[in-house]
Amino acid sequence: MNSVFFANLVLNGLIEGMVIALPALALTLVMGISKFPNVAVGDTMTVGAYVAFGLQAAGVSWFALATLGAIAACMVLSLATYQWVFRKLSKAPMVVNLLASVGLAFMMRSALLLWVDSQPKTYAFPLVRAWNFHGVRLLPTDLWIVLTAGAALLVVFALFRYTNVGRCLRAIADNPELARASAIRSKRLTWFLWCLFGALSALGGVLLAAKSVLLPEFGWEFVIPAFAAVILGGIGSPVGAVAGAVLLGVAQEVSVAFVGPSYKITVAFLVMIVVLVIRPAGLLGLLEKAR
Amino acid sequence: MMLDVSDVTVSYGPFLAVDRASLQVGAGETVGLAGTNGAGKSTLFAAIAGQIMADTGRMVFDDHAITNHPAHQRARLGLCRTFQVPREFGRLSVLENLLVAAPGDRMETMWSAWFARGAMRRKTQQLTVQADGILAMLGMSGLRDLPAAGLSGGQKKLLELARVLMHRPRLILLDEPFAGVNPVRIGEVMEIFRRLKDSGIALLIVEHHLQALKALSSRLYVMDQGRVIAQGDPAEVLASRIVQDAYMGGVL
Amino acid sequence: MSAYLIAICIIGLIYALLAIGLNIEYGETGLINFGHVAYFAIGAYASALLSLRGVPVSLSILLAGLLAAVAAIPIGFAALRLKDDYFAIVTLGFAEAVRITIQQEEWLTHGVQGIAAIPGLAAGASGNSVFLAILLLVVLCAMGSVYLIQHSAFGRVLRAIRDNEVAVVALGKRTAGFKVKVLMFGSFFGGVAGAFYSHFISFISPEQFVALVTFYVWMSIILGGVGTMRGSLVGSLVLVLLLEGSRFIGDFLPGVSDLQVAHLRLGVIGFILVMFSLYRPQGLFGKGGRA
Repeated sequence: MNSVFFANLVLNGLIEGMVIALPALALTLVMGISKFPNVAVGDTMTVGAYVAFGLQAAGVSWFALATLGAIAACMVLSLATYQWVFRKLSKAPMVVNLLASVGLAFMMRSALLLWVDSQPKTYAFPLVRAWNFHGVRLLPTDLWIVLTAGAALLVVFALFRYTNVGRCLRAIADNPELARASAIRSKRLTWFLWCLFGALSALGGVLLAAKSVLLPEFGWEFVIPAFAAVILGGIGSPVGAVAGAVLLGVAQEVSVAFVGPSYKITVAFLVMIVVLVIRPAGLLGLLEKAR
Repeated sequence: MMLDVSDVTVSYGPFLAVDRASLQVGAGETVGLAGTNGAGKSTLFAAIAGQIMADTGRMVFDDHAITNHPAHQRARLGLCRTFQVPREFGRLSVLENLLVAAPGDRMETMWSAWFARGAMRRKTQQLTVQADGILAMLGMSGLRDLPAAGLSGGQKKLLELARVLMHRPRLILLDEPFAGVNPVRIGEVMEIFRRLKDSGIALLIVEHHLQALKALSSRLYVMDQGRVIAQGDPAEVLASRIVQDAYMGGVL
Repeated sequence: MSAYLIAICIIGLIYALLAIGLNIEYGETGLINFGHVAYFAIGAYASALLSLRGVPVSLSILLAGLLAAVAAIPIGFAALRLKDDYFAIVTLGFAEAVRITIQQEEWLTHGVQGIAAIPGLAAGASGNSVFLAILLLVVLCAMGSVYLIQHSAFGRVLRAIRDNEVAVVALGKRTAGFKVKVLMFGSFFGGVAGAFYSHFISFISPEQFVALVTFYVWMSIILGGVGTMRGSLVGSLVLVLLLEGSRFIGDFLPGVSDLQVAHLRLGVIGFILVMFSLYRPQGLFGKGGRA
């Protein structure tokens, strides 16, 4: 265990963290507006990853197109879940929404399991050798992945800051009373939000699958890490979700040196617990003075 | 001095909600706390109740330093509060709402549920008598066995009060008790508060309804923009220039 | 009574124990516990390992239950300050962490290979009807203890916590203590259920303790009626019928493999959860549970 070894782990962690930031951001957005943790984020990621795989296998040569196809598919999927399920449950207690999202996650996974075979799949990328900087290795694929994730995050944040829709979303997240008052734009806003949810999940799914193998259970494994990222970064803070994801990614990767690769979810869980006990507001969340 | 609050500050990030506020409530006294919208009285109230923690300042209740006490501990010492929007236990009956409110440590355990049911039943009977008494005083006897969720808004507010009384408090923090009360019934509610006062319980009433405060309180504090700007005899305070200005000609 | 019917009853009673535990947690106290399977797993493995090391089975079952109850304490304290949605996710994370730990710590649990040849109950009484009788006795005791709690001052406080925890705190009670006790109680029965399960089935491995099992139990308390004793029993019965029924259908339909039946079942469970959320949410909070 030397510094090069750790440097590789940290680098890997940063990359994975950037990608987990996408579903983490999706989660924190939905939690801000619809006030429930959408557990279906994981399986939406899996759907996106499989759609991209399917498109590539069907002959779409440019992988970026396959990714766009996945994003489009998941936007529709998430919008559908809103339109047929969550819209009807918008006045229902949180637990009802939560259980519905669990049910939807199961339905998505079931459909995938029945449709595709459970052999692990990988995307067909040309085999390229990793770049090597004095022992620190970086695969070109990984560079693309982190750049894509970064670009997506920048786009989303730009949307929040510079468009009307984005500003409205932020306002609603900060002040639900205001949200009710501005009911006119509400429907368009909510559609935008759910499309964004689907898009971020899909992209996250594709990028994560590009780093490893694609299995039907794969998205569910990122639900806990995505939540841990949201909690670490601070509930209610999109920037926090991203920061939390990156930190969590690094923590998970570094932990591999000590407990091996299979414990990553456990590490995420422990981070979650530690944050909730020591500093429940997270790194950037507003200190909750009252409940 | 039953309650002594000094130099309390509460801020939300850069926003100073309460700025070095102080107030006192004597034993058996009824004190009012009024203020314009956003004056910080609700925040101060929440800090005294322990719902939020003050940033600075000291609070002493009945010779106990409660500055860092969590809410439930303050209640156990006899500093209880009602909620402006009633927080009834919807699926419990009115009677059960009151039974839960009583301090009942020894009885409210799994052990008692399994192995000391006789003692538990006896205690419940005692508490039921006490509860029935309170319900009678508030004119709510007929509602005794109804699920609390089915009560009207005004009845729920009375239930809030009844629940707190089960706890035999020394001082009740009342969170806008007249809010949303039908003007026709205000007289009834005032009468209930007069009876409370007669029983010797100290009251700290946060309210917008200035007439009610004037009639009930022996002393009145007025807040504006986080600070206490006036205190003293209610009539004088409300007539004072500084308070009139703060309310900007609002009806007094 | 045919051997098959006895086996069905045993499985049903095991699920009933799980449901009784979850019902006290959610139906009575409003705790959204998504990690119930963790205690099932802890109980199963603890009892298996203890009995294989010579501890008499009846004692190992009791110890397994106690161990599961103790395991609930740290989760209880760490998670109880959370709002219910975060609590749900944290408990979910805990269950996954437990499963992964079981999978990884092969020196103790044999990892994915599982533990085999777990002894049945007491001397020579491998006859399942004796097993059934003992299990029935345990379930009756569980029901009795729950009944006594429901009709007690303690139970009243639990329901008050469920309906409005903030008010209970304002009335001077330390709700955290109540909630931890309830979690321990529910987890005790989860652990005992797990122990019985391992001695009945005589082979356990980590895949039997996936998150899906938690939602089987959720589904059964929703179907049967949250917060009622009858609900736990009826719901477990329906669950077992569903599980067995689907296996039958799989056997009868040509070309449908066991695996596909399992996948389809996942989707059906999801569908049921969604349907109940949409059309009979009172199933989630009518008599009990969070409104």
